[in-house]
Amino acid sequence: MSENFNIDDVSNLASIELSEDEKAKLQKDLQIILEHVEALKNVDIKDEKIDIHPLSKVLELRKDESKESLKHEDAMMNSPETKDGHFVVPPSIE
Amino acid sequence: MFQNKEMKPSELFEQVYETASYTESVLHAHLELFYDEGLKLSKESDRRYIKSESLGLLDGIPIAIKDNINIYGYKTTCSSKMLSNYVSPYDATVISSLKKAGIIFTGKTNLDEFAMGSSTENSAYGPTKNPWNPDYVPGGSSGGSAAVVSAGSAVASLGSDTGGSIRQPASFCGVVGFKPTYGTVSRYGLIAFASSLDQIGPITNTVDDTRIIFNEIQGYDSKDATSITPEYLKLDNKKVKVGILKEFMQEGVSEESQNEVNKVVSLLQEKGHEVTEISLPLTEMALSVYYLIAPAECSANLSRFDGVRFGIREAASTSYEMMNKTRSVGFGEEVKKRILLGTYALSAGYFDEYYGRALKVRSKIISDFKDAFEKVDFILSPTTPTPAFAFGEKTKNPLEMYLSDLCTIPANLAGLPAISIPTGLSKNALPLSVQIMGKPCSDYSVIDFAESIEEMVEFNYSANLLEENNES
Repeated sequence: MSENFNIDDVSNLASIELSEDEKAKLQKDLQIILEHVEALKNVDIKDEKIDIHPLSKVLELRKDESKESLKHEDAMMNSPETKDGHFVVPPSIE
Repeated sequence: MFQNKEMKPSELFEQVYETASYTESVLHAHLELFYDEGLKLSKESDRRYIKSESLGLLDGIPIAIKDNINIYGYKTTCSSKMLSNYVSPYDATVISSLKKAGIIFTGKTNLDEFAMGSSTENSAYGPTKNPWNPDYVPGGSSGGSAAVVSAGSAVASLGSDTGGSIRQPASFCGVVGFKPTYGTVSRYGLIAFASSLDQIGPITNTVDDTRIIFNEIQGYDSKDATSITPEYLKLDNKKVKVGILKEFMQEGVSEESQNEVNKVVSLLQEKGHEVTEISLPLTEMALSVYYLIAPAECSANLSRFDGVRFGIREAASTSYEMMNKTRSVGFGEEVKKRILLGTYALSAGYFDEYYGRALKVRSKIISDFKDAFEKVDFILSPTTPTPAFAFGEKTKNPLEMYLSDLCTIPANLAGLPAISIPTGLSKNALPLSVQIMGKPCSDYSVIDFAESIEEMVEFNYSANLLEENNES
């Protein structure tokens, strides 16, 4: 499985720019990990179900009711740039 | 202590702060100290005790908080450059609970960046040293939280445990570390790493302190969708059945660590407890399962750090370029590695082979533990395969570092309560511990049983740093 790992494709998917040195180091480390997890192929998982919660709790949505929540200005206070109550970002289309 | 007027909360706070003033220059365990606020609150606590209006056992007790848990108005950096400027706009639920109990926060403690690591060597602000010997790591990721308790610069602390991040550093620093049953302590306000594994828990000097803090922070919270309404099992601990996990008593686990388990087994047998060997072969797959599930969840959770709503931002001409550059500059190497691994494991064409397969093996491990707990009440093992290791010893190969969580990861995968208590010293005079795992929601029974072992082993050593200072 791990021979298909391409660091350029994956870093692009993850939106992380990597230097050539970083690519070489991370490629090597990730190859070691991916080879280690190959062992899972030997476990029989036929008919095995998946539990999202380790105690099998069924996740529920909260009740649709209004409650006091974070103030607008508090939610914005950590943003690098805001204007008129909105987050400001560089253009999405060049 | 406060009730019978032996000491005032403000005096204890000053004492702890004075300890911090010399230990911090060596250890770098706190990232920030809250002296002014702490002193002010401890004096308010003084007044409550004078008027016999204390808020309970924890009123006025100075506790340190891992810097991935939000305290309103203070920075929460996660030891990352990404969040170097982030100020928490709200309290985590555990913080609200502790504030109501009158706890005084000493400050925020160092960790591996975003809680990813086992030594604090991944902190963007430099590592924490082990109070027993500063040439050795304190463990991680809650290394700062374990070191402050061991060094006496806080009476207790909160950490978070995703694969052993409370128990492993507690073991390396000779203190008690408890990971509660998944869902019993709210994760609201804990910066998420791997949501199906993360748990907040206490690090303390004694098992009784762990019980008191756990009692305060546990309980259902509607703000955490994975929170449960715990119905705690109460076992009669007078005569219990203890399983020794064969897979953690063989090659890969040092003789010193195994000897601690054997020592405790002898003590338990003397008291008439029944001890048997059990085998859970799939625990040998736990590390592989963990290193697919945790990175997969981390890659999703950390996608929120994009330079838009919080954290640092790198200048760029387009949004896409800004995100790529911000994430490149803001995250350290280990975090990038896990995001990339998780992204790959979740990507089209590989999801079933990696993440899907890991989830199914996890279900089998959960099922194996259920079967094991039909036969035994508790499972005993070493907490860590070795005592604390030296700085730089395990940074060359990622697997070597990951293997230090070998014995702790299964409890996270199965959502079990697990506690680490110190039992002895290695030949290098570093602490060694044992771990006790219990059935889901047997938290108080695990704590009670750990307390009985604590009484039997009488671990009466303290960190060298403290002894040196007392002698000077």
